[in-house]
Order: sequence, then structure tokens, then C-alpha cells
Amino acid sequence: MKLPLWRRRQQQDLDAELQSHLQMAIEDRIERGETLEQAETRALSEFGNQSLVKDVTRQTWGWTGFDDWLQDVHYGLRMLRKNLGFTVAAVLTLALAIGANTAVFTVLNTIFLHSLPVHDQSHLVAVKMTSASKSERSERFLPISYLNLKDLQGQNRVFSGLAGYSPPFSLPLWQGRSSQRVFAEVVTGNYFEVLGTSPAFGSFFASGEERAPGANPVAVISYGLWQRRFGGTPDVIGREIRLSQATFVIVGVAPQGFLGVDAIFGPDVWLPSNMTEQVLATAMRDALTDRGKPLFFGVGRLQTGISSAQAESDLKTIATSLAREYPGPNAGHSIVLQSASMAALGPYGAGILFGSALLMTLVGLVLLIACSNVANLLMARAEARRHEIAVRISMGAIRLRLIRQLLTESMLLGMASGIFALLLGYAGVSLLSSFRPAEYAQNLASPKLDAQVFVFTLLLSLLTGVIFGIVPALESSRAPVLEVLKEASRSLTGSQRRVRIANVLLVGQVALSLAALIMAALFLRSVQRQSTADPGFQTHNLALFPLNPGQVGYDRARSENLYRRVETDVAALPGIDSVSWASNLPLWERVAADVVIEGRAQQRKSDTVGSVVNTIDLNYFSVMGIPIVRGRDFTESDDERSMPVAIVNETIAHTYWPGQEVLGKRFRFAGGNFYRQIVGVVKNSTYVTLGETPQSCIYLPLRQNFSDAMVLYVRTHGDPAQALAPIERHIHDIDPQMPLDDVRTGSTIISQAMWGTEMGVGMLSVFGLLGLLLASVGLYGIMSYAVNQRQHEIGIRMALGADRARVLKTFVGQGMKLVGIGVVAGLALALLAGRAVSSLLYGVTATDPISIALASAVLVSGAAFACFIPAHAATRVDPLTSLRES
Amino acid sequence: MPPAYQNRIELLQGTLDLLVLQTLQWGPQHGYGIAQCIRGGSGDTLQVETGSLYPALHRLERQGWIVSEWKLTDKKQRAKFYRLTRAGKTQLLRERSRWEQLSDAIAAILNAVRTEGEV
Repeated sequence: MKLPLWRRRQQQDLDAELQSHLQMAIEDRIERGETLEQAETRALSEFGNQSLVKDVTRQTWGWTGFDDWLQDVHYGLRMLRKNLGFTVAAVLTLALAIGANTAVFTVLNTIFLHSLPVHDQSHLVAVKMTSASKSERSERFLPISYLNLKDLQGQNRVFSGLAGYSPPFSLPLWQGRSSQRVFAEVVTGNYFEVLGTSPAFGSFFASGEERAPGANPVAVISYGLWQRRFGGTPDVIGREIRLSQATFVIVGVAPQGFLGVDAIFGPDVWLPSNMTEQVLATAMRDALTDRGKPLFFGVGRLQTGISSAQAESDLKTIATSLAREYPGPNAGHSIVLQSASMAALGPYGAGILFGSALLMTLVGLVLLIACSNVANLLMARAEARRHEIAVRISMGAIRLRLIRQLLTESMLLGMASGIFALLLGYAGVSLLSSFRPAEYAQNLASPKLDAQVFVFTLLLSLLTGVIFGIVPALESSRAPVLEVLKEASRSLTGSQRRVRIANVLLVGQVALSLAALIMAALFLRSVQRQSTADPGFQTHNLALFPLNPGQVGYDRARSENLYRRVETDVAALPGIDSVSWASNLPLWERVAADVVIEGRAQQRKSDTVGSVVNTIDLNYFSVMGIPIVRGRDFTESDDERSMPVAIVNETIAHTYWPGQEVLGKRFRFAGGNFYRQIVGVVKNSTYVTLGETPQSCIYLPLRQNFSDAMVLYVRTHGDPAQALAPIERHIHDIDPQMPLDDVRTGSTIISQAMWGTEMGVGMLSVFGLLGLLLASVGLYGIMSYAVNQRQHEIGIRMALGADRARVLKTFVGQGMKLVGIGVVAGLALALLAGRAVSSLLYGVTATDPISIALASAVLVSGAAFACFIPAHAATRVDPLTSLRES
Repeated sequence: MPPAYQNRIELLQGTLDLLVLQTLQWGPQHGYGIAQCIRGGSGDTLQVETGSLYPALHRLERQGWIVSEWKLTDKKQRAKFYRLTRAGKTQLLRERSRWEQLSDAIAAILNAVRTEGEV
């Protein structure tokens, strides 16, 4: 690292000038009769500190800051090279910690700060329906029906454009006679225009393409599908694809990485809303004409100068008038706006936010631990550098300059670690990505190390350098010059001070690590409880086959015939216990319907009840192992000609008819025109996620509530995986073209439903362990430093005949006393943090004794080990050697 | 030690500039010569530290009040000579009048204190 040429010239000039000054002074003195030697000594001492004179003179040149900095960097690099062992240890520690931060940030960056490939995201807002029911714990966000969306589009005065998009649904994409499952969204014609996205290829739907229903068979495909299915060739535009029962012409390819509004899950195909009837299941087929069939989430672009709050109040006004005009489907509903970035998190926004905050905190803790480790290494090294620093001070180095020099060194360390951290972060992110479920990995956002991640890591590395460097720099620049130079060293003042600082660091480190460990343990236990929690239905002998006859052109009669035939045929196969049909997949359900209970004051909005609704065939409860606690199961005679009936779960029964007879009570769905009578009550099971707070659930008989998309539930005697292939063959015997793309066993579906949580917990435990590892290494470092400081004392004690075991006990005891203080502080910290997270724990309290005891035990034994080894080594040294050395 | 050193530079700054400019009024001179002149002219009262002198010279040069040139001394030695510029002469006059004002003002205050003390 060299100074620029002009600057070097200037310095040489100054050197020459000062040299000539000295020369003239010496000659003058000789003329006055002094000897050469006298003259030189006196002239030099009169001149003063040469390097300081140069320094202060150079400072008048301006830009010296930069020169000094170059020098500092140069010098710093030399020092780091000289102490290679130290450098490697520090860089490794920091790179692990910064890498963890990089990996987590990369994922969060993709999810939260994901810059949609859209125009001016800040003006985009998500528009959702909400049920104003006050009896529910939190606001529910619902889609908007097509007719309501049309009215909102036409009547609002706040958006320059309002578009709608459906949640993604699966469809068979045909290739010859075989099909492949893809995800599709139906969107209004102006969807891409409102988002302001440009196609990678071809064009999007022109707004005018919302022609007559069914008359607009065009499709936009995702970049991923284009690559996978069409090899990325440009002639894909104009090609035809067969989706479900209709043929679509590809008009465009979405840009790479475009998932739509959602930041986590994106479809493979976008279809115009007027093709809804051709692709959706029967239940939603009339979504374009029925105001009670909510299908679209809205996304609007605010006009310039309109705030989100203004827009919301405008839309609420429209919602009120819609509710007045169409009370059936709209009563009790209003409109809310969400920021586009919140809507991007999808239905689990709050959980994702929290999990991310937790992860970020944990990796932050890990980084702090690493900083404290390296600070300690630096302190220990400062001891070795005392002489060097004292010499520099005596030569006139200014303390500030010295501190800057030392900080430059630590920032260089930070930067070096940052580079490795990027590599580690990249590896971590790839590892995380490889854990995505293969079934829909291509639809999930893929985290990438982009410029933002790069800048984040860079800044973090520099900041890290300052954090771990500042205390050691302040400390070592304080070196008492004379003492050090006179080698009256081993003076206790300086090193005692340093031991004190090291002690504070140690206590802090123990506290932080313990808190991080306890948090990780609490969440691990919580998830373990959750995954072993009783799901409320049997999972082990279960095989599931989602069938969608409606999508391949079956009408109602054919579908019903198919259901019956598959059921009887499969039940007759060997190894099959029982068979039934249901509309929902376990653990993939949503609270979907609003229920109005008969006899309750209807006007009060708070009387609508949100509930999961599942349409089932006979025997469902016995296949699933859900006990019927009162009343009866559905029977053959519960069909279209008989009285409408329903079975409810215990939550509904206890909430709305506490202590009363439930059988015979009646309710209707909001917007519906007939009441259903309750004929049975079943035990609760879990519907949305394992370990959930009890949800309401209503079961309807298939014979009274036909659906052309159903899941075949098969209870097997033995391993359900063995049964998958024969059953699949059997279904294909009945209809060879029936798409069967999503066949799973019950245990698979549970682990898939738990995937997000498991990921989060996996990361938690990895980072918790990393924290523990770094903390133990740090403890070890601090202890060996403390022992080294007192090697002399140990030598004397041993020479005076002290018992080895006693010396050992003293030292370990002293270390453990500090650890003890740290543990107490860590427990306090964990209790504080635990209170903040207690609502997220399942089956354990924030003060869970097992988690706390386990974490403390692991930490304390690690610490004891770290104390014992250096102390043990110290007592092994021959007392004479250690005395002589000092 | 170092901080005290720096303090003195700060204290002397304005005055030292004046002394340097005044010295250069008589003709070009190198740093050592300037120091000797000030020392001799003040009857050894004022000792100019090199740590103050050279920063002052370089600062004055940057401000354009003096220019430098390497030349040979009477004793055939290479040295860097400083010479007053036109702007430097103006600056000298300005600094002189300011110094006179300042010393008058200080004298007035000191005298006033003495009078009060006598009453």
C-alpha cells in the first residue's frame, strides 16, 4: 500500500527541509566551539521529536487523514499477517457469527424487503374484506366476491387502478394423456397493469380482454414454468396449453422471480378472471355472478396525493352501502387496506414477522458473543503488544491516532470475516433452500444474495470491527509508558484492570449465551410438544388421494358415480380398513364460512361465527378416528330430499350452547337461505395447524352439499405407503386420465404442514448451538488468559509447597464464581425475554423448568470444562520454569 | 508530554504568524534562519519550537502569504527559503495593526487593575 506520488514527493521535501534545519543548527554550534558530538546531541534535543514535527506539519496539508488511513491499513495488515494464529481464530469466530446474520438477513430480505419487480411499490395497497365480528380473537381477512370487486372498482375515487387476484389453486396441466399439477391464479385483466410489471416476453392481458365469460382463453406463464416446460424458447408465445378442461393460448411470460403480490408462494400460470368458470371447482364456478362467493384479493394503486387512510375510509363507505344494498352476502363485512409488503406475507404474516424477529435477535446475540470473544483475544494480545505500543507512545504517537490505528486493525479483521461470512451465508442459504418441500419448491421464493445482502454484510462487518475493537483499543493505548519500558512490568495495575474487563466480558457472555440457549430450548420443547401433540385424528395408517373430477369435465352425476365406485372398489382391496371422502386435506384448512345461529338477534354483527367447513362422506369419522360424542353420523338417507343436517365439533357446541342440548339446534350460513339442523357432535381435532387453539368446525354431508373436488381418505391396516401405488392403479383403471398428482400419506401431510415451523426451529437450534460453541470457546480463552496472568503466582504457590489439587480448586472456583454471576444475569434476561414470547409457546411456559435446567446445565458444564483445562495445564508446569520465565 | 506540546502550538499560532511574516519582511529566509532571527531579535526570550514553526510556515504558504524555493545558503548548503508575497505584505500590515490594538487593550486593562489596587 503506497502513498500517491505527489504526496511522497511532498514528504521527501519536508524530510529534506527538517534535515537541513538540523544540519545548520549543528554547524552553528560547531562554529561556536562545541565538539561534533556535543553539537549533534544538543541540536537534536533542541529540535525535539522529529516524527511529531513531521506529523503536525503534515496536518496543515489537508488530506492527511487519508494518508494516515493508508498507513494505518498498511500497518494493520502487517500486524494481522504477523499474528496469523490470532487472525485465523478471530476471523473464523466472526465469520461464523456474521455468516449466520447474513443467512437470516438473506431470507428476510427476500420475504420482507423483496422488491417486487413492479413499478413504485409504495403506492400499492392490498384490499381485503374483513368480517367485523367482535366475538373473534383477531380480524380475519377474506377475499372479495367478483361483483363486489367490480363495484369497488367502479365507485372508488382513490385508486388509479384496482385489480383482483385469487389465491393460488392447483390444476392439471396436460401433456398428451398425462398431467402434471401446476398452480394457477385467476386475475382481473388489469392485474399486471396495476402492479406495473413488464413481461419478460410477449405481453400481459390487455385490460380490454375481460370479455364475455369463457371467451378469453389466454394465459401468462411464470418464468420458471417457461424454463422447465418450454425450455425457455421464445416461440412459446402463441402455443396452446391444456389446463383442466380448457385450452389456453400463451400470450406472455412473467419476469424472473415474479411471484405476484405474495412474496413467498407464486403460481405457475395466471389466467384472466373471465375464465374462472373453466378452471375452478364447481363450488366456485359461479363466482363471477354470485356476490356471496368471495374469490379475489384486491390490490390497488393509490392516486398521487391520496393516503392509505383516505383510501380506506373511501372504500369503507362503499362497503357500507354495499352491505345495505346486498345485506345477504355483505352484512357484517367491511373493507380494510393492508400495505403491499404486509399482504406479501400471505395468511401467516404475524407468525412470520414474529419468527423473523426471534431469529434476528438470536443471531444478533450470537454476533455479540463472537464480538466479546474476539475482544478478549485482542485484550490478551494487547498484553503482548504493550511494549510495542509504549515505544510508539514515547516516540510521540498521539493516543487518538493510536486508537485509530488499533480500530483500523479490528475493522480489517471485520472486513476479512465479512468476506468469509458471505461465503458461509451463501452456503447456509443454499442449505435452507434445499429443505424446501420438493412438491412445490419451484413456486416458493428463492432467497438470493443480492446487492442489499452484500451491503448489509459489509456494514455489519465494519460495525462488528468497531464493537469488538473499541474497548481493547482504549485499554491498550493507555499503557503506562515508563513502567513498560523499564520492564518494571508484570506490574499488577495494568493487567489487573484488564482482568477486570475480561471478567465483565465473561459474565456478559455467559449471560447472553444462557439467555439464547434458554430461548432456543423453550422453542424446541414447544415444537416437540406441538409435533407430538394429539392431532385429534389418526395419522399413521392414512393415505390421501386428492381427486378433482370437475377439472376433467365430470358433471355431478358422473362425479357421484365415480366417488361411489372408487369407494367400493378400494374398500375391497386387501389391507384396506375403511374408505371415505372429504373436501378438505387435514391441516390445510381455513376458517371459511360465517355462520348465523337461529334464534339469536340477527342484527348484531357480532353474532356471526367463523368456522371451518368440511364436506364429508359416510364413515369419515371412523376412517379418521374422530369419536362422535353425541348424536349420530351422517347416513345414506341424509340426501337432497331430506332435511338439511350438519355435525359440529365440541368447540361450537360449548361456545354457543353451553350446558344445553345441542342436537336439534339450527344454524345457517351467512348469505344462505335455509337452516341446517345439528344431528351430531364430534370431538375436536386440529384443522389449520398442530397445537392450534381449538377452532370451530362444521361437517356437511356430501349428499347434501356436492363438491367435484374431493380427497379420498383410506385407512390401511399396515404401512400406508405400500397402499399408495395399488390404489392409484385402481383409480386409473376406472379413469386412466384422472390426474393423481398429489398422493400422500397422513404422516407426510403432517410433516409438510409443519414445514415452516420446523424450518424456523431448525434454524433456532443451529444458532443456539453456535452461540453455545462460541461462548465455550470464549470462556476457554478468558480462563487461559487469566491463568497465564497468574502463572507467576501459581509458580510461587507450588514452589512453597501448595497442594496441586488446592491450587486447581482455587482457580476453577474463581472462574466458576464469575460463571455463576453470569448464569444469574442470564436467567434474569431469559425471564424477561420469556415474558415477551410466552404467547407463542405451545405446551410449555416461559419458566419451563426443564428448558431452563437443561440450558443451564449444558452451559455450566461447558464453562467448567473451559475453566478446568487451562488451570490444570498451569499446575502441570514446573514451578521453577514459571518463576524463571518471569 | 505530547498534549502539552500541542497546546503550545495553539497558543502561539496567531502571534507566531505575525513574527514569521515580520521576519521575512527583511528578505527571504529559511526555517532555521527565521527561528534564529526571532530568538535573537527577542533577546533569547522567545524560543520558537520547530513543532510550531514548520506547521506555521506550511500554513502560511498554503494561504499564499509566503512562497518557498530551494536555494543555497551563504555556506553553500541547500535550504528551503521562504519569501513574502504581495498578499503576505498586506496580511502583515493587517496583523500588525491587530496586534497593536490587542496589546493596547491588554495594557489598558492591566493599568486599570493597578490603579484600582492602589486606591
